Amino acid sequence: MKPVLEGRDVSRSFGGLMALHRVSFQLFEGEIVGLIGPNGSGKTTLFNAITGVFPPQEGEILLDGKPISRLKPFQICRMGIGRTFQIVRPFLKMTCLENVLVGIVGKDEKGTSREERVEQALLELEFVGLGGQSHRLAGSLTLLQKKMLELARALATRPRVLLLDEVLAGLNPSEILQALHMIEAIRVKRKVTIFWVEHVMGAIMTACQRIIVLDQGRKIAEGPPDEVRSNPRVIEAYLGGADA
Amino acid sequence: MKRAGLAGVFLIAILVPFFLNQYWLHVAIISLFYVMMASSWNLIAGYTGQVSFAHAAFAGVGAYTSGMLALYGGVHPALGIIAGTLLAGVLGLGLGGLCIRMGGIYLSLTTLGFSEILRIIITNEEQWTRGTMGLQIPGVFSVYSKTHYYFLFLAVTLAFLVLMRRLLNSDTGLAFRAVLNDELAASTSGIDTVRVRLMAFTSSSAMAGLAGGLYGHYLMLITPDIPSLGQMFLVLAMAVIGGMGSFAGPIIGAIALEFLSEYIRIYGEYHLLLFGLVALVIARFAPSGMVGLWEKIWRRR
Repeated sequence: MKPVLEGRDVSRSFGGLMALHRVSFQLFEGEIVGLIGPNGSGKTTLFNAITGVFPPQEGEILLDGKPISRLKPFQICRMGIGRTFQIVRPFLKMTCLENVLVGIVGKDEKGTSREERVEQALLELEFVGLGGQSHRLAGSLTLLQKKMLELARALATRPRVLLLDEVLAGLNPSEILQALHMIEAIRVKRKVTIFWVEHVMGAIMTACQRIIVLDQGRKIAEGPPDEVRSNPRVIEAYLGGADA
Repeated sequence: MKRAGLAGVFLIAILVPFFLNQYWLHVAIISLFYVMMASSWNLIAGYTGQVSFAHAAFAGVGAYTSGMLALYGGVHPALGIIAGTLLAGVLGLGLGGLCIRMGGIYLSLTTLGFSEILRIIITNEEQWTRGTMGLQIPGVFSVYSKTHYYFLFLAVTLAFLVLMRRLLNSDTGLAFRAVLNDELAASTSGIDTVRVRLMAFTSSSAMAGLAGGLYGHYLMLITPDIPSLGQMFLVLAMAVIGGMGSFAGPIIGAIALEFLSEYIRIYGEYHLLLFGLVALVIARFAPSGMVGLWEKIWRRR
């Protein structure tokens, strides 16, 4: 089977700091893969490399076998990679409907009328549970709602792969449960492959089939949750080894 | 309610020439020029967050292109103004292409430089432009009438505003606002941010060229004051005081400040200083300008 999204020896440094060092990964159709690691281990940097915000300096990233690492963020989005941000970034001074419309316009599908687009945007809002909120300003939403709005905006670009950056951070237990249902719905109903960074360990360990662990810009482990959890290198990275 | 209000404003605008004397009619015409200038500047500064200082310069491009074509080539002002609009648009595309990727303060500095270069060229190429003495150019109408000019300016301004409104309500306008709100989020949502900003810059420059061309043929004397920084800051003050990023703000700001500046004209160039100070205070304490203040007061009631 060919991977949907693949990274080959992806490296990126900032000044003298090696933020990513020869990281390779593969995501297969319909999978949900967790990406974990201590703070500063390069998780968000990897997402920024994939989405073209800070492209890799070495190595290659492929979507459906096609190289994307030389493309601009908007081109990568149009090829089928959506993302949400660690610190939510909806368009605060625009309504929920407009936020989602940006994603639809961004995907740039010719021939759809304004009415069809609005209809599609309303469906996306409905899907993430923001049905009645379409004319509220994004800035007035709760954190959970903002995160859901970001998801709706990302889904509006009809991604094949969705990168989630700490969607659960800052949510209370019942909100976490809601968000988990949403992620599962996106994977199953929308048939989107998910690459997911998270610090809420319990959640990511139960939801993901496979976990990739980064530490100081390097991949130190990969495998099913149980295997990763008992991996001595992972434990050392999180708790600090003898040399730390 | 909103429709009725607009219809009322329109009716007043049509009746204006029958109530104002020649002097105040002149002020009304000039304020329509500033409505076009401040609104189109708002398109880049207010809607995509790029503070350009070349806006008056593009008006100068429009005025001198059309004026010189008419004077040396015998081209009809209507065609000349179109040529000036296009040239301003092309120069805007070129200048934008150069500095839009840099963004922020670099864009402001580059446009400031462009503006000064243009003013210096116009001032010094005396054999063509007659420098600071000003160039006398033909008017639009064969018989001079302020009322005719007023209606011409009104028609063009209205067409201009309708066009801008449609642009802002289109997908392009949505993209403008997305870029202003959050450039990174816009780019990862599939918006080509560089192209969007370049489009805003180019169309806004062309609009300034159009306004400048009309303005020149109304005054029938064009001087390097049109592309000057003093003019630029007046336009900036109008947009900021009226309310940047809102559609009505720059319109209200332009009319209010132009009429006000007639009352305080006796203090000479000091009116610019006053406007600068007011703009500073507004930018600090009421960033959404007069329109924003009005909305706040309205909501509190």
